[in-house]
Amino acid sequence: MRIAVAGKGGAGKTTISATLARTLARSGKRVLAIDGDPNPNLGTALGVDPEVLRDPPRVPRNAADEVVDDAGRKQRVLKPEFKDFRAEYAVTAPDGVMLVHMTRVDHAGTG
Amino acid sequence: MRGVASALLGVENEVNLLDMEASIEHLARGTPGGVDCMLVVVEPYYRAMETAGRIVPLARELGIGRVLGIANKLRDGEDARAIRDYCAAKGLELAIEIPFDEAVRAADRRGRALIDEAPDSATARAVAELARQLH
Repeated sequence: MRIAVAGKGGAGKTTISATLARTLARSGKRVLAIDGDPNPNLGTALGVDPEVLRDPPRVPRNAADEVVDDAGRKQRVLKPEFKDFRAEYAVTAPDGVMLVHMTRVDHAGTG
Repeated sequence: MRGVASALLGVENEVNLLDMEASIEHLARGTPGGVDCMLVVVEPYYRAMETAGRIVPLARELGIGRVLGIANKLRDGEDARAIRDYCAAKGLELAIEIPFDEAVRAADRRGRALIDEAPDSATARAVAELARQLH
């Protein structure tokens, strides 16, 4: 099952995503949580140790390829060399939830 | 970056869950193509509902079969009515209604997970109900 959580900033996406991820993991599901926000805080909401989140590994921007599926739609897939991305990039959250972070888009003159 | 999020969402697994960034422009570009279910979190404020109202048709255009609304931070019956009316007008099915919940703010302040801090909170219970609906 692939679930995307959307909505206006501040509406509660992250709390709901984290609570849903943990709840599904407790019911025995293998859960991968993806923080799609450039300013990530899903890890905190999942209950990951802040020390781990200070500088978490981030999946490189070039990890995906574009392919066209049978229906002619463009889809993104992980490049074969990132098949084992969990080992290198995932942080383990309570209840066994695996969490991955994206690479930040850095803007000149900020930070 | 968005392509990577989309690719990760597509990896072989039991449950992949993407907490999307706030802006919806990437939706227009078709990021979450292979999504089974999109949850749209809506607060009872005009701009939040308006954002949801833009997300829903885009999600449908992308061919996402199940688009569910989640009403959040409802303070009273009027809030609930406002969201129900809006969602009915947009044809968005509401999966759960979550009341305004002090436990969420308290967990946030402490930088802790809600499910650890307040497993019996209204929000945690509503999300458990949501998880049952998703099965």
